[in-house]
Amino acid sequence: MGIGKVESSDAELVGRVRAGDISAYGALVARYRDRLGRYAVHMIGDREDAEEALQDSFVRAYRSLGRCTDPARFGAWLYGILVNRCRTTGARAARRRRVFVAADEFDRATPNGPDELERLEWADLVERALARLGPEHREAFLLKHVEDLEYEEMAEVTGAGVSALKMRVKRAREQLQKLLTEARHV
Amino acid sequence: MSDGDELVERVIEQLRRPVGIDPALDARVLREIAADARPEAALRAKPRMIWPWLAVAAVLAAVIVARPWARRDVAGETPFQFVLVAPQAASVSLVGDFNDWDPNRAPMQVAHGVWAAVVQLPPGRYRYAFLVNGVEWRSDPTAPHASDDEFGTPSSVVTVTGGGT
Amino acid sequence: MIIAALLIAIQTPVQDPRLDRLDPNTRATVVAIVDSARSIGLPSEPLVQRALEGTTKGAAGERIVLAVRRLAGDLGTVRAALGNSSTPPELEAAVAALRAGASTQLLAKLRAARRPPLTMALAVLADLVASGVPADSAAAAVLALAPRARDADLVEFRRAVERDIALGAPPAAATSIRVNAGANTLTDAGPAGQPPRPTRP
Repeated sequence: MGIGKVESSDAELVGRVRAGDISAYGALVARYRDRLGRYAVHMIGDREDAEEALQDSFVRAYRSLGRCTDPARFGAWLYGILVNRCRTTGARAARRRRVFVAADEFDRATPNGPDELERLEWADLVERALARLGPEHREAFLLKHVEDLEYEEMAEVTGAGVSALKMRVKRAREQLQKLLTEARHV
Repeated sequence: MSDGDELVERVIEQLRRPVGIDPALDARVLREIAADARPEAALRAKPRMIWPWLAVAAVLAAVIVARPWARRDVAGETPFQFVLVAPQAASVSLVGDFNDWDPNRAPMQVAHGVWAAVVQLPPGRYRYAFLVNGVEWRSDPTAPHASDDEFGTPSSVVTVTGGGT
Repeated sequence: MIIAALLIAIQTPVQDPRLDRLDPNTRATVVAIVDSARSIGLPSEPLVQRALEGTTKGAAGERIVLAVRRLAGDLGTVRAALGNSSTPPELEAAVAALRAGASTQLLAKLRAARRPPLTMALAVLADLVASGVPADSAAAAVLALAPRARDADLVEFRRAVERDIALGAPPAAATSIRVNAGANTLTDAGPAGQPPRPTRP
């Protein structure tokens, strides 16, 4: 999968933004908001901080749009900005270890019994285990397995080498297995 | 697939679920961009990082009458003062573990944009927050942050000791 | 489920009228959790307050239940570490410390290192971590100060570290510098001759 060369509409939109059409940027934001938002929320572990990082990244990307050398790969370039921005917030918020549970879990008014609670507890456990990974491992795991980036893309976006990234993903998997296996036996 | 791999697959499945980003974010981005006059504008200030100690202290000194604060009251309670700088607010309530999170119990008093309330607190650790205009939740920028945020809004903590000061 | 089993063991659940603010389904589950916690000697007030917080903030029922269950579980965990004679404020502060990253072993060590109440030491640990201090730095600092520092000294320590961080110091460094300073100036009483002012967080 990966980010890849999206159809020319990304390049087209970027072209229009550069020509002064701000609403075209709105289309780009709508296109990437949910996907990048998901990464930010899991990476930072706090919804408020994640949305702030996301908003900041979009604004930063707009302001430095001149430096986007391949408009057709705007998405990948934007990812790079977000990953870096999340590192800054991560350092600030890392110790808060907030419990985050996905918003869509709570759209129902009344609980549906033990299954629902178990599902919520699982979601809670996963976020807590993720929060205990080192930031580089969490970053690599999310980019590879949740955001489906190829290793070459990850290398561009993170600045790390492909073999280092492969090792981090492997270690992240091992750690998650260990943390969650322990948790289940409590 | 081994048990461990299966576990990781379940984790991935959970993490791929949509997280529900605030749809108003789009509008906020565009507003910020539209406000940009210069191409290389400076990054916006982040209000949460600013500690308003000096500003609040100066205003308080000028405004709050020096009431004779006694030493610890009967029953080991300590008077605690909570302050929020919110010049635009029409009303601010202090809510927390010490008043059953009831917005009607501790409406705050305002002078020159500074809202204040004093609450008698027995020893304990209390989560609290400010409810502004009946709808907006704010934590106390001058207090430690509550470590969990299970209900999606920020809270602060105050710890009152019983003895041994 | 565990709750069902415990319900059988309890006689009549005590109804706290404050919980009437919850919707009926949520209230039933929360009352069950509160009663089972009370029946094993855990403080119920923190659980009630957590439910009330959720209600006031408009959270959905299952979110409130999840928060209350988590808190009940954590209260049990920290009580096992700190001992049955722990006071409710100690337990609440210990839960905050636990969630900030303190291990149960650390909690037990603190219990051994300091005369009761342990509340402020645990609170300062949790608050330091909330300010960005790495959990192990905060733990080491509090453990070092625990034997001799008064509660007021610990609060002052936490404030000093937070000021340094706000001014740009790296959190771990700010903490260790202050620990070393604190070890020498624990009896510094501050400016004299001022009337006591109401305390601030």
